[in-house]
Amino acid sequence: MAKIDPTLAGKLKKYGAKDFPACYNCGNCTAVCSLTAKDANYPRIFLRYGSLGMKDEILSAREPWLCYACGECSAACPRDAGPGDFMAAARKFAIAHHEPTGLTRLLFTNSPFAVVFTVLLAVVMGTFMMMVSDRVDPDNVLKRWIFDHLSFSVIHDMGMVIFTFMGLSALLGMILMGRRLFAGMPKLENPRKAIVSAIHNVRAELLTMRRYRKCQDDEEPYFKDRKWPFQPWFVHWSIMWGFIGLLFATILDFLLKDPATTTWWPSRILGTVAGIAMMWGATLAIIYRIKGVARQYRNSTLADWALLGALFAAGLTGFWMEVAVMAHLENDLNAAIFIIHTIVSMELVLLFAFSKFAHAVYRPLALFNYFLRQK
Amino acid sequence: MEEKKKKRIGVYICHCGGNISDYVDVAQVRELAGKDDFVVVAKDVMFACADSNQKDMVADIKEQGLDAIVVASCSPKLHLHTFRNVALRAGLNQYQYVQVNVREQCSWPHHDDRKLATGKAAGLVEAGIRRVMGAESHETIRVSAARSVLIVGAGVAGMRAAISLASIGNEVVLVEKAAEPGGKLAGRKDLFPGDVSGESIVQDLAARVRATPNIKLFCGATVSGVCGSMGQFQVKVNVGGQPAEDLEFTVGAVLIATGFDPYKPEPGEYSMGSPGVIPIGEFVKLVESGSGELMHQGRRVRSVGFIYCVGMRQTKGKNKYCSRVCCSGAIQASLSMHRRYPGVQAYHFYRDIRAYGKQEVMYTESSKAGDVYFMFTEKEPPVVTADGSGAVIKVKDSLTKKQEVEVPVDLVVLVTGMVPQADSGAIAASFKVPIGADGFFNEIHPKLRPVETVINGVFLGGSCQGPKNVTETLSSALAASAKINAVIGKGVIDLDPVIARVDSSKCVWCGKCAAVCEYGALVEMERDGRNFAIVDEPSCVGCGVCAPVCPTNAIELACFTDAEIEGMIDGFALDQNINITETAAAEESAAPSVTMKEYPAQWHMILEAMKDGPISIPDIAKASGLDASLVTRHVMTMNRYRVAEPAGLDDSEQYYLYQQKS
Ligand SMILES: Cc1cc2nc3c(=O)[nH]c(=O)nc-3n(C[C@H](O)[C@H](O)[C@H](O)COP(=O)(O)OP(=O)(O)OC[C@H]3O[C@@H](n4cnc5c(N)ncnc54)[C@H](O)[C@@H]3O)c2cc1C
Ligand code: SF4
Ligand code: SF4
Ligand code: SF4
Ligand code: SF4
Ligand code: SF4
Repeated sequence: MAKIDPTLAGKLKKYGAKDFPACYNCGNCTAVCSLTAKDANYPRIFLRYGSLGMKDEILSAREPWLCYACGECSAACPRDAGPGDFMAAARKFAIAHHEPTGLTRLLFTNSPFAVVFTVLLAVVMGTFMMMVSDRVDPDNVLKRWIFDHLSFSVIHDMGMVIFTFMGLSALLGMILMGRRLFAGMPKLENPRKAIVSAIHNVRAELLTMRRYRKCQDDEEPYFKDRKWPFQPWFVHWSIMWGFIGLLFATILDFLLKDPATTTWWPSRILGTVAGIAMMWGATLAIIYRIKGVARQYRNSTLADWALLGALFAAGLTGFWMEVAVMAHLENDLNAAIFIIHTIVSMELVLLFAFSKFAHAVYRPLALFNYFLRQK
Repeated sequence: MEEKKKKRIGVYICHCGGNISDYVDVAQVRELAGKDDFVVVAKDVMFACADSNQKDMVADIKEQGLDAIVVASCSPKLHLHTFRNVALRAGLNQYQYVQVNVREQCSWPHHDDRKLATGKAAGLVEAGIRRVMGAESHETIRVSAARSVLIVGAGVAGMRAAISLASIGNEVVLVEKAAEPGGKLAGRKDLFPGDVSGESIVQDLAARVRATPNIKLFCGATVSGVCGSMGQFQVKVNVGGQPAEDLEFTVGAVLIATGFDPYKPEPGEYSMGSPGVIPIGEFVKLVESGSGELMHQGRRVRSVGFIYCVGMRQTKGKNKYCSRVCCSGAIQASLSMHRRYPGVQAYHFYRDIRAYGKQEVMYTESSKAGDVYFMFTEKEPPVVTADGSGAVIKVKDSLTKKQEVEVPVDLVVLVTGMVPQADSGAIAASFKVPIGADGFFNEIHPKLRPVETVINGVFLGGSCQGPKNVTETLSSALAASAKINAVIGKGVIDLDPVIARVDSSKCVWCGKCAAVCEYGALVEMERDGRNFAIVDEPSCVGCGVCAPVCPTNAIELACFTDAEIEGMIDGFALDQNINITETAAAEESAAPSVTMKEYPAQWHMILEAMKDGPISIPDIAKASGLDASLVTRHVMTMNRYRVAEPAGLDDSEQYYLYQQKS
């Protein structure tokens, strides 16, 4: 017997859901969604769960993760209930709910806090990096004050603790989420085969954005005759693979120690190509959002802007450094750019699990579960 | 009313431009009619209704001294009045005219048999001649009408009608059984739509009623007796008081505006009777009585569950209809509650939301305000358990895949609809107006005559006719006022003379006619120690139902007297020798005969021939082997039924091409 909680609606609105209680269950949104399965009820049923306060139904569902926020449903809604925005909010709600520290919830629902937190983090990291830099006079008051009181190893260990803590809570969140997703999983007849096929499907989905490509909003003329590099699915694809490529390149660089030696290292080539891809996607996404070219780009939350802005800044400063290194330009400006690049990248990695970025893990997980359950 | 038989009759047979003459041998019908001894003029004319012919007819009547005319043409529905006016213009009584329908009754249905069509036409014309020979002259019946109206019920409907009728010069007797006027709206505050309160509507109307000298308002009064008919009803009004007193009035018309009763839930229906379960009427009063904190029986109310369609839309039960105001009423009550008591959560349990028209906006507003809506089916209604400390509503929510949900609330509101007013039966009996299967008063036709009853002079207004909101109530009350004034406004009423009459010398007062007359037009009279029936002329509509039940044959219907009907039978039974000319007969045998049974097969053959694109009729005939004239007939019919359609001319521009219609 389900219990009703009318306060949930208010909470969900803080995650970016619009006037969804206005929904009168006509089902138009389900009818137009290109991704909804044959006898599924989404997005409508999730707005319903939201109105009734059926939190568990939302948290343990895979469906919000199947949605790519194309916004077709919102355009079709006669009551302007914003079903597409609701699905996005449901995803953020799930990310925040599973992450155990509560930091994500604050970041998503409290914009001033989010701004102060990220800026403060940047300032702390920036100051610290400036202090370790050779360019700052060893007799600088602050520098002396810091290093007189803290030995380098303490600072290092502190960093490690913070990283581990962040990493662990992120991991815990994913495990909690996974547990919910896989709860009530029917016994598979042929588990091996099912798992192999599900993995194959997830991989195909991530590589080709097969499902995203199905999203065609006929009422939005903007993308109608555009070439594939300009299509939303490709924008998403290039950001995702660009970022993954960059992550690998950085790790490779790190393992190979001396990063800046030559441009022709494979890791450097990978970094350049991935960087271009990411910049392409992030730039287009930012333009689309500023111009509001289509429904899905018109309703942006702070979390959306923060993620895109960070990716763009990381990419831009990365390329700047690339050029600077090649031209052997060592000056204060380039040092500052380097610090900015490092700060933004560190924040991206640090806050990975506490931001919208976490969907990069949740979505494949949900997709895997979805394909596993598929007959 | 014995009149001497007509001896100089004019008969006109119309061709209807071929519509009749193509299938009926008009000349022969004219010839046969002309043989009749009393027919002085017999003509066949291309268009009988044409101005020129009408003029000729007037001239014939005057010059030949005709005393009656017969036109054999189309349906009297079309031209009865046209030719009655011809008679009138020529100085005849308009009832000395009979129309015979040889188009709808002969040429059209019997186009495949010229001989039979002609024979039938000749028979009908002869019947018409015999009928007109016995026809009586009549004048319109004029009765005087009292320019005053009895209105029963002083709700918004009754009061609004009273004001408008009085303002155009009628006296109004407004009878209200409650101590104060206003009906269900009295004391009500928030109403949908708009922002005018029920209270102020009622106060405004009541003030205007009291300020109008030609409205007599009686509160605490009832109608205790009615007799008479349209134009002259004698009504008794019991005005209560100590001692109670009966006043008598003569009114020209009556408006029933007795309104509705709210449905009363049965004890136990959705836990009705338990503390914390109340009908919507009570809830509305509770909400409108204050603001701040919503309290019920000393307990704070933080959440309210509305259950819709209580007692309504029962597929198996008595009230099958939808009350149409209660959805909007409940949503309105919820919004009103939010305004007065912010923070109270509302849950709505509905079967369908029928917030039609502009009320949809309220529904949207309520959803946006966070009201939660659950949908249930008639088969699985919500279950309410209530003890003094609150209630729980359990429902299988159709919108959430029939999940069972449990909603604890502080107050359960039963959204009840409208049922017929308790006195309806008694009122119906005293005015003899019929009541529908649903218990509400019946109008003649909901679209064509929406405020009239079958009883001449008795009208309906407002929610006594069926569920209506205030807007609809007032519209119907005003419509009824206009209708009433149209009837009594001139002080006289002209009646169609085609009504029943009783030969009092033959009547033995058995009462059979009065029992079958739905209009209460047959009333008992006593004179010289003898009882007999008379027809109350303003009440009779001339339906004729009474005539055949009379065992002594005392009743006759004007224009359909025994003499006329018997004359028609004699005329039709007359042996007439029909001679279809050689050419016509040859023409007929040349036309290929085909039976209905063969149609489908032949249509298939024709469609088959059309398969390769547009094709002309001769080519279809060639391809199918069917006779060309038969193909023509079929293709025309197929065109009419949208099976085939024309597709332009062929290359030689000689024949039309036809194709299958997509
Ligand atoms: C819960 C509820 C909420 C509603 N809310 C709204 C709303 O917000 N907006 C809206 O537009 N409509 C609303 N309605 C509908 C509205 O109440 C009716 O449309 C309106 O009252 C009908 O007016 P009436 O004059 O036809 O009938 P009534 O108001 O019923 O008046 C009939 C009058 O006739 C009198 N009477 C009855 N029998 C006799 C007799 N034998 N002799 C003499 N007098 C007699 C009665 O005493 C009464 O005074 C609501 C209805 C309900 C049930
Ligand atoms: S936003 Fe697009 S994918 Fe998501 S539910 Fe709506 S229509 Fe479906
Ligand atoms: S289209 Fe809008 S109103 Fe209709 S079910 Fe979807 S969200 Fe609700
Ligand atoms: S108006 Fe609404 S509550 Fe009233 S009977 Fe009709 S559907 Fe039911
Ligand atoms: S003709 Fe009809 S209405 Fe007139 S008295 Fe006879 S039954 Fe009644
Ligand atoms: S049925 Fe005939 S006899 Fe009987 S009351 Fe009527 S008119 Fe008289």
